[in-house]
Amino acid sequence: MKGRNEFLVGLVLLLTLVVVVAGALWLSESDIGRRESLHVARFRTVGGLTPGAPVTYRGVRVGRVEAIRLADQFVEADLRVYQGVELPGKPAVIAASQSLFGEWGATIISRDQPQDDPNVRVMLAETSRPGGDRWPGATLPDVGQLTAQAGRIATDIAAVAARVQETFDSTAVAELRRSIKDFGEIADKLVRFTENQTGRLNEVTANVERTSDAVLGASGHLESTLARVDSATADGQLQQILNNTRDGTGDLRAASADLRALLASARGQEASLIRTLLAADSILTGIQSGQGTIGLLAKDPALYNETIETMQELRRLIADIQVNPRKYFKFSVF
Amino acid sequence: MDSARALADARTWAPHVLPQMRRLGVDSVPIALFIATFTGIVLALLSKYIFTGAVPMYFVGALVGKTIMMELGPVLTGLALAGRVGANIAAEVGTMRVTEQVDALETLAYNPNSYLVVPRVLAGVLMFPVVTALAVAIGVTAGWITAINLLDLSTLEFVKGLRLFYRFKDIWFGLLKAASFGAAVTLAGCLMGLATRGGAEGVGRNTTRAVVIGCEAILVLDAFWALVLL
Repeated sequence: MKGRNEFLVGLVLLLTLVVVVAGALWLSESDIGRRESLHVARFRTVGGLTPGAPVTYRGVRVGRVEAIRLADQFVEADLRVYQGVELPGKPAVIAASQSLFGEWGATIISRDQPQDDPNVRVMLAETSRPGGDRWPGATLPDVGQLTAQAGRIATDIAAVAARVQETFDSTAVAELRRSIKDFGEIADKLVRFTENQTGRLNEVTANVERTSDAVLGASGHLESTLARVDSATADGQLQQILNNTRDGTGDLRAASADLRALLASARGQEASLIRTLLAADSILTGIQSGQGTIGLLAKDPALYNETIETMQELRRLIADIQVNPRKYFKFSVF
Repeated sequence: MDSARALADARTWAPHVLPQMRRLGVDSVPIALFIATFTGIVLALLSKYIFTGAVPMYFVGALVGKTIMMELGPVLTGLALAGRVGANIAAEVGTMRVTEQVDALETLAYNPNSYLVVPRVLAGVLMFPVVTALAVAIGVTAGWITAINLLDLSTLEFVKGLRLFYRFKDIWFGLLKAASFGAAVTLAGCLMGLATRGGAEGVGRNTTRAVVIGCEAILVLDAFWALVLL
Protein backbone atom coordinates (compact mmCIF):
# COMPACT_ATOMS: atom_id res chain seq x y z
CA MET A 1 0.00 0.00 0.00
CA LYS A 2 2.81 2.33 0.92
CA GLY A 3 4.62 1.61 -2.30
CA ARG A 4 1.49 2.20 -4.30
CA ASN A 5 1.00 5.56 -2.59
CA GLU A 6 4.53 6.57 -3.42
CA PHE A 7 4.15 5.51 -7.02
CA LEU A 8 0.88 7.31 -7.56
CA VAL A 9 1.94 10.48 -5.81
CA GLY A 10 5.26 10.51 -7.63
CA LEU A 11 3.59 9.87 -10.93
CA VAL A 12 1.11 12.69 -10.44
CA LEU A 13 3.80 15.08 -9.27
CA LEU A 14 6.00 14.22 -12.22
CA LEU A 15 3.15 14.52 -14.65
CA THR A 16 2.18 17.86 -13.18
CA LEU A 17 5.73 19.11 -13.34
CA VAL A 18 6.00 18.14 -16.98
CA VAL A 19 2.65 19.73 -17.79
CA VAL A 20 3.49 22.99 -16.05
CA VAL A 21 6.99 23.36 -17.49
CA ALA A 22 6.04 22.29 -20.98
CA GLY A 23 2.93 24.48 -20.93
CA ALA A 24 4.82 27.51 -19.73
CA LEU A 25 7.51 27.08 -22.37
CA TRP A 26 4.99 26.45 -25.10
CA LEU A 27 2.84 29.42 -24.19
CA SER A 28 5.80 31.79 -23.96
CA GLU A 29 7.16 30.39 -27.24
CA SER A 30 10.47 29.81 -25.55
CA ASP A 31 13.04 27.55 -27.07
CA ILE A 32 15.47 26.15 -24.53
CA GLY A 33 18.12 25.39 -27.13
CA ARG A 34 17.74 28.70 -28.91
CA ARG A 35 20.29 31.38 -28.16
CA GLU A 36 19.18 34.92 -27.84
CA SER A 37 20.90 38.28 -27.67
CA LEU A 38 19.86 41.05 -25.33
CA HIS A 39 19.40 44.61 -26.60
CA VAL A 40 18.19 47.64 -24.76
CA ALA A 41 15.83 50.14 -26.32
CA ARG A 42 15.27 53.59 -24.89
CA PHE A 43 11.86 55.26 -25.00
CA ARG A 44 10.36 58.47 -23.71
CA THR A 45 7.33 56.36 -22.76
CA VAL A 46 6.49 52.77 -23.61
CA GLY A 47 2.71 53.18 -23.77
CA GLY A 48 1.10 49.75 -23.33
CA LEU A 49 4.27 47.75 -23.97
CA THR A 50 4.73 45.09 -21.30
CA PRO A 51 7.21 42.28 -20.63
CA GLY A 52 6.44 39.34 -22.86
CA ALA A 53 5.21 41.49 -25.73
CA PRO A 54 6.46 40.31 -29.12
CA VAL A 55 9.40 41.93 -30.90
CA THR A 56 9.00 41.87 -34.65
CA TYR A 57 11.23 42.78 -37.54
CA ARG A 58 9.66 43.32 -40.92
CA GLY A 59 6.51 41.65 -39.61
CA VAL A 60 8.23 38.49 -38.36
CA ARG A 61 8.49 37.72 -34.67
CA VAL A 62 12.16 37.74 -33.72
CA GLY A 63 12.00 37.96 -29.94
CA ARG A 64 10.17 39.34 -26.95
CA VAL A 65 10.30 42.14 -24.45
CA GLU A 66 12.17 40.84 -21.44
CA ALA A 67 11.84 43.69 -18.97
CA ILE A 68 10.90 47.35 -18.72
CA ARG A 69 12.33 49.84 -16.24
CA LEU A 70 12.61 53.55 -15.63
CA ALA A 71 16.02 55.06 -16.42
CA ASP A 72 16.39 58.75 -15.57
CA GLN A 73 14.08 60.62 -17.87
CA PHE A 74 13.64 57.65 -20.20
CA VAL A 75 12.19 54.16 -20.05
CA GLU A 76 14.42 51.27 -21.03
CA ALA A 77 13.14 48.00 -22.39
CA ASP A 78 15.24 44.85 -22.61
CA LEU A 79 14.60 43.06 -25.88
CA ARG A 80 15.50 39.41 -26.28
CA VAL A 81 16.16 38.85 -29.95
CA TYR A 82 16.82 35.43 -31.43
CA GLN A 83 20.39 35.02 -32.50
CA GLY A 84 20.90 34.62 -36.19
CA VAL A 85 18.43 37.34 -37.05
CA GLU A 86 20.11 39.87 -39.29
CA LEU A 87 19.20 43.19 -37.77
CA PRO A 88 19.61 46.53 -39.54
CA GLY A 89 22.88 48.39 -39.11
CA LYS A 90 21.29 51.27 -37.25
CA PRO A 91 18.27 49.77 -35.51
CA ALA A 92 15.47 51.68 -33.81
CA VAL A 93 12.33 50.42 -32.11
CA ILE A 94 8.74 51.53 -32.42
CA ALA A 95 6.27 50.46 -29.75
CA ALA A 96 2.75 50.39 -31.05
CA SER A 97 -0.63 48.92 -30.39
CA GLN A 98 -1.13 45.94 -32.63
CA SER A 99 -4.90 45.82 -32.51
CA LEU A 100 -7.89 47.59 -31.05
CA PHE A 101 -7.76 45.34 -28.01
CA GLY A 102 -4.66 46.44 -26.21
CA GLU A 103 -2.04 44.17 -27.72
CA TRP A 104 1.26 46.01 -27.93
CA GLY A 105 4.44 45.01 -29.62
CA ALA A 106 7.88 46.37 -30.42
CA THR A 107 8.90 46.63 -34.04
CA ILE A 108 12.53 46.91 -35.04
CA ILE A 109 13.16 49.31 -37.89
CA SER A 110 16.19 50.82 -39.52
CA ARG A 111 17.07 54.38 -38.59
CA ASP A 112 18.09 54.89 -42.20
CA GLN A 113 14.51 54.19 -43.19
CA PRO A 114 12.71 57.55 -43.47
CA GLN A 115 9.77 57.97 -41.11
CA ASP A 116 6.62 59.70 -42.33
CA ASP A 117 5.34 60.58 -38.89
CA PRO A 118 7.05 63.77 -37.59
CA ASN A 119 6.33 62.74 -33.98
CA VAL A 120 8.19 59.49 -34.49
CA ARG A 121 11.12 61.37 -35.99
CA VAL A 122 11.21 63.71 -32.98
CA MET A 123 11.00 60.85 -30.46
CA LEU A 124 13.73 58.89 -32.22
CA ALA A 125 15.94 61.96 -32.25
CA GLU A 126 15.28 62.58 -28.54
CA THR A 127 16.02 59.03 -27.45
CA SER A 128 19.12 58.69 -29.62
CA ARG A 129 20.64 61.93 -28.33
CA PRO A 130 22.15 60.50 -25.08
CA GLY A 131 24.13 58.03 -27.18
CA GLY A 132 25.44 54.74 -25.86
CA ASP A 133 24.51 51.37 -27.28
CA ARG A 134 20.81 51.85 -26.54
CA TRP A 135 18.49 51.65 -29.49
CA PRO A 136 16.35 54.75 -29.85
CA GLY A 137 12.65 54.12 -29.51
CA ALA A 138 9.40 55.84 -30.33
CA THR A 139 5.86 55.12 -29.23
CA LEU A 140 2.83 55.50 -31.41
CA PRO A 141 -0.42 56.71 -29.83
CA ASP A 142 -2.69 53.91 -28.71
CA VAL A 143 -6.27 53.42 -29.69
CA GLY A 144 -7.47 55.13 -26.53
CA GLN A 145 -5.62 58.32 -27.38
CA LEU A 146 -6.88 58.24 -30.94
CA THR A 147 -10.39 57.64 -29.67
CA ALA A 148 -10.06 60.53 -27.22
CA GLN A 149 -8.82 62.76 -30.05
CA ALA A 150 -11.74 61.64 -32.19
CA GLY A 151 -14.03 62.36 -29.26
CA ARG A 152 -12.66 65.90 -28.96
CA ILE A 153 -13.12 66.43 -32.69
CA ALA A 154 -16.67 65.13 -32.47
CA THR A 155 -17.35 67.50 -29.57
CA ASP A 156 -15.99 70.42 -31.57
CA ILE A 157 -18.11 69.47 -34.55
CA ALA A 158 -21.16 69.25 -32.30
CA ALA A 159 -20.39 72.72 -30.91
CA VAL A 160 -20.00 74.12 -34.42
CA ALA A 161 -23.23 72.45 -35.47
CA ALA A 162 -25.01 73.95 -32.46
CA ARG A 163 -23.69 77.40 -33.32
CA VAL A 164 -24.75 77.00 -36.92
CA GLN A 165 -28.16 75.97 -35.68
CA GLU A 166 -28.32 79.04 -33.43
CA THR A 167 -27.19 81.26 -36.28
CA PHE A 168 -29.73 79.92 -38.71
CA ASP A 169 -32.83 80.66 -36.66
CA SER A 170 -36.12 81.76 -38.26
CA THR A 171 -35.02 85.42 -38.63
CA ALA A 172 -31.78 84.42 -40.24
CA VAL A 173 -33.59 82.10 -42.58
CA ALA A 174 -36.02 84.92 -43.55
CA GLU A 175 -33.09 87.24 -44.16
CA LEU A 176 -31.39 84.57 -46.13
CA ARG A 177 -34.50 84.12 -48.26
CA ARG A 178 -34.69 87.88 -48.79
CA SER A 179 -31.03 87.94 -49.72
CA ILE A 180 -31.59 85.15 -52.18
CA LYS A 181 -34.54 87.03 -53.65
CA ASP A 182 -32.43 90.21 -53.93
CA PHE A 183 -29.70 88.22 -55.45
CA GLY A 184 -32.19 86.86 -57.99
CA GLU A 185 -33.23 90.37 -58.93
CA ILE A 186 -29.62 91.42 -59.26
CA ALA A 187 -29.05 88.43 -61.44
CA ASP A 188 -32.02 89.42 -63.66
CA LYS A 189 -30.63 92.95 -64.01
CA LEU A 190 -27.29 91.54 -64.79
CA VAL A 191 -28.83 89.35 -67.49
CA ARG A 192 -30.58 92.37 -69.07
CA PHE A 193 -27.43 94.41 -68.88
CA THR A 194 -25.52 91.59 -70.45
CA GLU A 195 -28.06 91.32 -73.26
CA ASN A 196 -27.76 95.07 -73.92
CA GLN A 197 -24.06 94.90 -73.90
CA THR A 198 -24.05 91.92 -76.17
CA GLY A 199 -25.21 94.07 -79.19
CA ARG A 200 -22.52 96.61 -78.53
CA LEU A 201 -20.05 93.94 -78.06
CA ASN A 202 -21.07 92.50 -81.41
CA GLU A 203 -20.51 95.91 -83.01
CA VAL A 204 -17.17 96.21 -81.33
CA THR A 205 -16.36 92.77 -82.54
CA ALA A 206 -17.29 93.72 -86.07
CA ASN A 207 -15.17 96.85 -85.81
CA VAL A 208 -12.35 94.82 -84.44
CA GLU A 209 -12.83 92.46 -87.34
CA ARG A 210 -12.64 95.28 -89.82
CA THR A 211 -9.67 96.76 -88.02
CA SER A 212 -8.10 93.40 -88.12
CA ASP A 213 -8.61 93.28 -91.88
CA ALA A 214 -7.09 96.75 -92.19
CA VAL A 215 -4.18 95.71 -90.04
CA LEU A 216 -3.83 92.68 -92.24
CA GLY A 217 -3.67 94.94 -95.31
CA ALA A 218 -1.21 97.27 -93.62
CA SER A 219 0.78 94.29 -92.63
CA GLY A 220 0.94 93.29 -96.28
CA HIS A 221 2.06 96.77 -97.25
CA LEU A 222 4.61 96.80 -94.49
CA GLU A 223 5.82 93.46 -95.64
CA SER A 224 6.26 94.70 -99.19
CA THR A 225 7.94 97.89 -97.89
CA LEU A 226 10.28 95.82 -95.81
CA ALA A 227 10.99 93.72 -98.85
CA ARG A 228 11.86 96.85 -100.75
CA VAL A 229 14.01 98.09 -97.90
CA ASP A 230 15.63 94.73 -97.81
CA SER A 231 16.32 94.84 -101.53
CA ALA A 232 17.52 98.43 -101.21
CA THR A 233 19.97 97.63 -98.49
CA ALA A 234 21.16 94.44 -100.00
CA ASP A 235 24.40 95.97 -101.58
CA GLY A 236 25.81 97.69 -98.53
CA GLN A 237 23.75 100.75 -99.14
CA LEU A 238 22.47 100.70 -95.65
CA GLN A 239 26.06 100.79 -94.33
CA GLN A 240 26.72 103.72 -96.63
CA ILE A 241 23.59 105.49 -95.38
CA LEU A 242 24.69 104.86 -91.84
CA ASN A 243 28.16 106.23 -92.58
CA ASN A 244 26.64 109.26 -94.24
CA THR A 245 24.35 109.67 -91.31
CA ARG A 246 27.33 109.41 -88.95
CA ASP A 247 29.19 112.08 -90.96
CA GLY A 248 26.07 114.22 -91.11
CA THR A 249 25.67 113.78 -87.38
CA GLY A 250 29.29 114.95 -86.89
CA ASP A 251 28.67 117.97 -89.07
CA LEU A 252 25.47 118.60 -87.27
CA ARG A 253 27.33 118.37 -83.95
CA ALA A 254 29.96 120.90 -85.23
CA ALA A 255 27.21 123.16 -86.54
CA SER A 256 25.51 122.86 -83.22
CA ALA A 257 28.73 123.93 -81.48
CA ASP A 258 29.09 126.87 -83.83
CA LEU A 259 25.49 127.75 -83.23
CA ARG A 260 26.06 127.56 -79.49
CA ALA A 261 29.09 129.94 -79.86
CA LEU A 262 27.06 132.20 -82.08
CA LEU A 263 24.26 132.21 -79.58
CA ALA A 264 26.74 133.05 -76.80
CA SER A 265 28.08 135.92 -78.92
CA ALA A 266 24.56 137.03 -79.77
CA ARG A 267 23.72 136.87 -76.08
CA GLY A 268 26.70 139.25 -75.46
CA GLN A 269 25.62 141.48 -78.35
CA GLU A 270 22.11 141.39 -77.00
CA ALA A 271 23.34 142.76 -73.68
CA SER A 272 25.30 145.49 -75.44
CA LEU A 273 22.31 146.25 -77.61
CA ILE A 274 20.08 146.45 -74.56
CA ARG A 275 22.49 148.87 -72.95
CA THR A 276 22.62 150.93 -76.17
CA LEU A 277 18.89 150.88 -76.45
CA LEU A 278 18.57 151.97 -72.85
CA ALA A 279 20.99 154.83 -73.47
CA ALA A 280 19.11 155.73 -76.65
CA ASP A 281 15.87 155.51 -74.79
CA SER A 282 17.27 157.80 -72.13
CA ILE A 283 18.44 160.22 -74.79
CA LEU A 284 15.15 160.06 -76.61
CA THR A 285 13.29 160.54 -73.36
CA GLY A 286 15.43 163.61 -72.70
CA ILE A 287 14.77 164.88 -76.22
CA GLN A 288 11.11 164.14 -75.78
CA SER A 289 11.05 166.13 -72.59
CA GLY A 290 12.90 169.00 -74.29
CA GLN A 291 16.18 168.63 -72.49
CA GLY A 292 19.46 169.43 -74.15
CA THR A 293 20.14 171.09 -77.47
CA ILE A 294 18.38 168.54 -79.59
CA GLY A 295 15.47 168.59 -77.19
CA LEU A 296 15.28 172.27 -77.37
CA LEU A 297 15.55 172.03 -81.13
CA ALA A 298 12.80 169.52 -81.19
CA LYS A 299 10.54 171.35 -78.78
CA ASP A 300 11.30 175.06 -79.42
CA PRO A 301 10.16 176.21 -82.92
CA ALA A 302 11.94 179.54 -82.54
CA LEU A 303 15.25 177.91 -82.01
CA TYR A 304 14.52 175.59 -84.87
CA ASN A 305 13.74 178.50 -87.10
CA GLU A 306 16.88 180.32 -85.97
CA THR A 307 18.89 177.26 -86.60
CA ILE A 308 17.38 177.00 -90.09
CA GLU A 309 18.13 180.57 -90.68
CA THR A 310 21.66 180.16 -89.37
CA MET A 311 22.14 177.26 -91.62
CA GLN A 312 20.87 179.22 -94.57
CA GLU A 313 23.20 182.09 -93.70
CA LEU A 314 26.05 179.65 -93.31
CA ARG A 315 25.30 178.21 -96.75
CA ARG A 316 25.27 181.69 -98.18
CA LEU A 317 28.53 182.52 -96.48
CA ILE A 318 30.12 179.36 -97.82
CA ALA A 319 28.89 180.22 -101.27
CA ASP A 320 30.26 183.71 -100.95
CA ILE A 321 33.57 182.35 -99.72
CA GLN A 322 33.66 180.02 -102.72
CA VAL A 323 33.01 182.94 -104.99
CA ASN A 324 35.20 185.47 -103.27
CA PRO A 325 37.78 183.60 -101.30
CA ARG A 326 40.20 186.52 -101.10
CA LYS A 327 37.57 188.43 -99.36
CA TYR A 328 37.88 186.23 -96.53
CA PHE A 329 41.30 184.55 -96.80
CA LYS A 330 44.59 186.24 -97.54
CA PHE A 331 47.65 184.17 -98.33
CA SER A 332 51.05 185.62 -98.43
CA VAL A 333 54.28 183.73 -98.52
CA PHE A 334 56.48 186.52 -97.66
CA MET B 1 0.29 28.18 16.84
CA ASP B 2 0.29 24.62 18.16
CA SER B 3 0.31 23.36 14.59
CA ALA B 4 3.24 25.62 13.73
CA ARG B 5 5.17 24.35 16.72
CA ALA B 6 4.33 20.81 15.71
CA LEU B 7 6.28 21.28 12.47
CA ALA B 8 9.43 20.71 14.49
CA ASP B 9 8.28 17.17 15.28
CA ALA B 10 9.10 15.86 11.84
CA ARG B 11 9.59 12.30 13.01
CA THR B 12 5.91 12.13 13.90
CA TRP B 13 4.36 13.78 10.85
CA ALA B 14 6.79 12.86 8.04
CA PRO B 15 5.61 9.23 7.55
CA HIS B 16 2.02 10.38 7.20
CA VAL B 17 2.54 13.05 4.56
CA LEU B 18 2.73 10.75 1.56
CA PRO B 19 -0.48 8.81 2.36
CA GLN B 20 -2.25 12.11 2.91
CA MET B 21 -0.92 13.41 -0.41
CA ARG B 22 -2.36 10.35 -2.03
CA ARG B 23 -5.72 10.71 -0.28
CA LEU B 24 -6.09 14.46 -0.56
CA GLY B 25 -4.36 15.03 -3.88
CA VAL B 26 -4.16 12.05 -6.18
CA ASP B 27 -7.60 10.79 -5.27
CA SER B 28 -9.01 14.26 -5.94
CA VAL B 29 -7.63 14.50 -9.46
CA PRO B 30 -10.64 12.92 -11.21
CA ILE B 31 -13.18 15.29 -9.70
CA ALA B 32 -10.92 18.27 -10.37
CA LEU B 33 -10.44 17.24 -14.00
CA PHE B 34 -14.14 16.65 -14.41
CA ILE B 35 -14.92 20.15 -13.19
CA ALA B 36 -12.14 21.68 -15.28
CA THR B 37 -13.29 19.94 -18.44
CA PHE B 38 -16.76 21.37 -18.25
CA THR B 39 -15.46 24.71 -17.14
CA GLY B 40 -13.32 24.90 -20.27
CA ILE B 41 -16.23 23.89 -22.49
CA VAL B 42 -18.59 26.42 -20.94
CA LEU B 43 -15.99 29.18 -21.08
CA ALA B 44 -15.35 28.62 -24.76
CA LEU B 45 -19.07 28.66 -25.53
CA LEU B 46 -19.58 31.75 -23.39
CA SER B 47 -16.70 33.50 -25.14
CA LYS B 48 -18.25 32.79 -28.49
CA TYR B 49 -21.56 34.16 -27.25
CA ILE B 50 -19.94 37.31 -25.85
CA PHE B 51 -17.50 38.07 -28.64
CA THR B 52 -19.65 37.44 -31.70
CA GLY B 53 -19.68 40.46 -33.97
CA ALA B 54 -17.55 42.68 -31.80
CA VAL B 55 -14.27 41.06 -30.90
CA PRO B 56 -12.00 38.82 -33.00
CA MET B 57 -12.72 35.18 -32.29
CA TYR B 58 -9.13 34.40 -31.41
CA PHE B 59 -9.84 36.19 -28.14
CA VAL B 60 -11.70 33.00 -27.16
CA GLY B 61 -8.27 31.48 -26.55
CA ALA B 62 -7.16 34.48 -24.50
CA LEU B 63 -10.26 34.43 -22.35
CA VAL B 64 -10.24 30.67 -21.80
CA GLY B 65 -6.53 30.61 -20.98
CA LYS B 66 -6.42 33.62 -18.71
CA THR B 67 -9.61 32.77 -16.88
CA ILE B 68 -8.80 29.15 -16.23
CA MET B 69 -5.14 29.74 -15.33
CA MET B 70 -5.66 32.66 -13.00
CA GLU B 71 -9.14 32.29 -11.58
CA LEU B 72 -11.48 29.45 -12.37
CA GLY B 73 -8.86 26.70 -12.26
CA PRO B 74 -7.62 27.43 -8.73
CA VAL B 75 -10.95 28.60 -7.29
CA LEU B 76 -13.22 25.89 -8.68
CA THR B 77 -10.67 23.20 -7.85
CA GLY B 78 -10.27 24.70 -4.39
CA LEU B 79 -14.02 24.79 -3.81
CA ALA B 80 -14.41 21.24 -5.04
CA LEU B 81 -11.60 20.06 -2.79
CA ALA B 82 -12.98 22.11 0.08
CA GLY B 83 -16.10 19.97 -0.11
CA ARG B 84 -14.29 16.72 -0.63
CA VAL B 85 -11.07 17.13 1.35
CA GLY B 86 -12.30 19.56 4.01
CA ALA B 87 -15.29 17.40 4.81
CA ASN B 88 -13.16 14.28 4.79
CA ILE B 89 -10.61 15.71 7.19
CA ALA B 90 -13.19 17.27 9.50
CA ALA B 91 -15.24 14.09 9.68
CA GLU B 92 -12.21 11.89 10.23
CA VAL B 93 -10.59 14.01 12.88
CA GLY B 94 -13.95 14.85 14.48
CA THR B 95 -14.79 11.19 14.74
CA MET B 96 -11.39 10.55 16.30
CA ARG B 97 -12.12 13.35 18.73
CA VAL B 98 -15.59 12.12 19.77
CA THR B 99 -14.35 8.53 20.00
CA GLU B 100 -11.49 9.70 22.19
CA GLN B 101 -8.81 8.49 19.79
CA VAL B 102 -7.23 11.90 19.97
CA ASP B 103 -7.14 11.60 23.71
CA ALA B 104 -5.53 8.20 23.29
CA LEU B 105 -2.83 9.76 21.09
CA GLU B 106 -2.15 12.33 23.76
CA THR B 107 -2.03 9.53 26.32
CA LEU B 108 0.57 7.80 24.18
CA ALA B 109 2.60 11.05 24.16
CA TYR B 110 1.75 11.89 20.54
CA ASN B 111 1.07 15.46 19.73
CA PRO B 112 -2.26 15.42 17.84
CA ASN B 113 -1.13 18.43 15.84
CA SER B 114 1.99 16.62 14.69
CA TYR B 115 0.16 13.41 14.03
CA LEU B 116 -3.06 14.66 12.51
CA VAL B 117 -2.82 18.32 11.48
CA VAL B 118 0.68 18.85 10.01
CA PRO B 119 0.63 15.93 7.53
CA ARG B 120 -2.78 16.94 6.23
CA VAL B 121 -1.93 20.62 5.93
CA LEU B 122 1.40 19.87 4.23
CA ALA B 123 -0.30 17.43 1.89
CA GLY B 124 -2.92 20.06 1.09
CA VAL B 125 -0.32 22.78 0.45
CA LEU B 126 1.65 20.48 -1.84
CA MET B 127 -1.16 18.72 -3.67
CA PHE B 128 -3.67 21.50 -4.26
CA PRO B 129 -1.30 23.21 -6.77
CA VAL B 130 -0.66 19.86 -8.43
CA VAL B 131 -4.32 19.13 -8.84
CA THR B 132 -4.94 22.70 -9.94
CA ALA B 133 -2.17 22.54 -12.56
CA LEU B 134 -3.66 19.40 -14.04
CA ALA B 135 -7.11 20.96 -13.92
CA VAL B 136 -5.86 24.03 -15.75
CA ALA B 137 -4.23 21.93 -18.44
CA ILE B 138 -7.38 19.90 -18.92
CA GLY B 139 -9.62 22.96 -18.82
CA VAL B 140 -7.63 24.76 -21.51
CA THR B 141 -7.52 21.62 -23.60
CA ALA B 142 -11.27 21.23 -23.26
CA GLY B 143 -11.75 24.83 -24.30
CA TRP B 144 -9.48 24.36 -27.29
CA ILE B 145 -11.32 21.21 -28.43
CA THR B 146 -14.64 22.98 -27.99
CA ALA B 147 -13.42 25.98 -29.94
CA ILE B 148 -12.21 24.04 -32.94
CA ASN B 149 -15.21 21.71 -33.01
CA LEU B 150 -18.12 23.90 -32.02
CA LEU B 151 -17.00 27.48 -32.65
CA ASP B 152 -15.53 27.20 -36.13
CA LEU B 153 -12.20 28.37 -34.77
CA SER B 154 -8.87 27.02 -35.98
CA THR B 155 -6.17 25.70 -33.69
CA LEU B 156 -3.84 28.50 -34.83
CA GLU B 157 -6.39 31.14 -33.93
CA PHE B 158 -7.05 29.61 -30.54
CA VAL B 159 -3.32 29.32 -29.79
CA LYS B 160 -2.77 32.88 -30.97
CA GLY B 161 -5.35 34.09 -28.47
CA LEU B 162 -3.96 31.82 -25.78
CA ARG B 163 -0.48 33.29 -26.20
CA LEU B 164 -1.68 36.82 -26.74
CA PHE B 165 -1.71 38.01 -23.14
CA TYR B 166 0.13 35.09 -21.57
CA ARG B 167 2.65 35.88 -18.86
CA PHE B 168 4.49 33.38 -16.70
CA LYS B 169 2.90 35.11 -13.77
CA ASP B 170 -0.44 33.70 -14.88
CA ILE B 171 0.78 30.22 -13.96
CA TRP B 172 2.56 30.87 -10.71
CA PHE B 173 -0.19 33.21 -9.56
CA GLY B 174 -2.77 30.40 -9.94
CA LEU B 175 -0.52 27.82 -8.29
CA LEU B 176 0.30 30.11 -5.38
CA LYS B 177 -3.39 30.69 -4.81
CA ALA B 178 -4.02 26.96 -4.97
CA ALA B 179 -1.36 26.31 -2.32
CA SER B 180 -2.93 28.87 -0.02
CA PHE B 181 -6.36 27.34 -0.63
CA GLY B 182 -4.93 23.93 0.26
CA ALA B 183 -3.55 25.26 3.52
CA ALA B 184 -6.83 26.98 4.38
CA VAL B 185 -9.09 24.04 3.54
CA THR B 186 -7.01 21.44 5.36
CA LEU B 187 -6.42 23.69 8.34
CA ALA B 188 -10.15 24.42 8.60
CA GLY B 189 -10.93 20.70 8.37
CA CYS B 190 -8.39 19.78 11.03
CA LEU B 191 -9.36 22.56 13.42
CA MET B 192 -13.08 21.87 13.06
CA GLY B 193 -12.41 18.18 13.53
CA LEU B 194 -10.37 18.72 16.65
CA ALA B 195 -13.04 21.08 17.98
CA THR B 196 -15.80 18.52 17.53
CA ARG B 197 -17.97 17.86 20.56
CA GLY B 198 -21.15 15.92 21.15
CA GLY B 199 -20.95 12.72 19.18
CA ALA B 200 -22.12 12.09 15.64
CA GLU B 201 -24.24 15.20 15.58
CA GLY B 202 -21.23 17.28 16.51
CA VAL B 203 -19.20 15.55 13.79
CA GLY B 204 -21.82 16.39 11.19
CA ARG B 205 -22.12 19.97 12.41
CA ASN B 206 -18.37 20.58 12.43
CA THR B 207 -17.93 18.87 9.09
CA THR B 208 -20.41 21.23 7.57
CA ARG B 209 -18.75 24.11 9.33
CA ALA B 210 -15.33 23.04 8.02
CA VAL B 211 -16.60 23.00 4.46
CA VAL B 212 -18.25 26.39 4.84
CA ILE B 213 -15.18 27.92 6.45
CA GLY B 214 -12.95 26.35 3.81
CA CYS B 215 -15.07 27.81 1.00
CA GLU B 216 -15.19 31.22 2.64
CA ALA B 217 -11.45 31.14 3.19
CA ILE B 218 -10.92 30.31 -0.48
CA LEU B 219 -12.98 33.31 -1.62
CA VAL B 220 -11.31 35.65 0.88
CA LEU B 221 -7.84 34.44 -0.08
CA ASP B 222 -8.75 34.76 -3.75
CA ALA B 223 -9.58 38.41 -3.25
CA PHE B 224 -6.50 38.89 -1.07
CA TRP B 225 -4.08 37.51 -3.64
CA ALA B 226 -5.71 39.50 -6.39
CA LEU B 227 -5.32 42.60 -4.30
CA VAL B 228 -1.72 41.87 -3.38
CA LEU B 229 -0.29 40.39 -6.57
CA LEU B 230 -2.21 41.94 -9.47
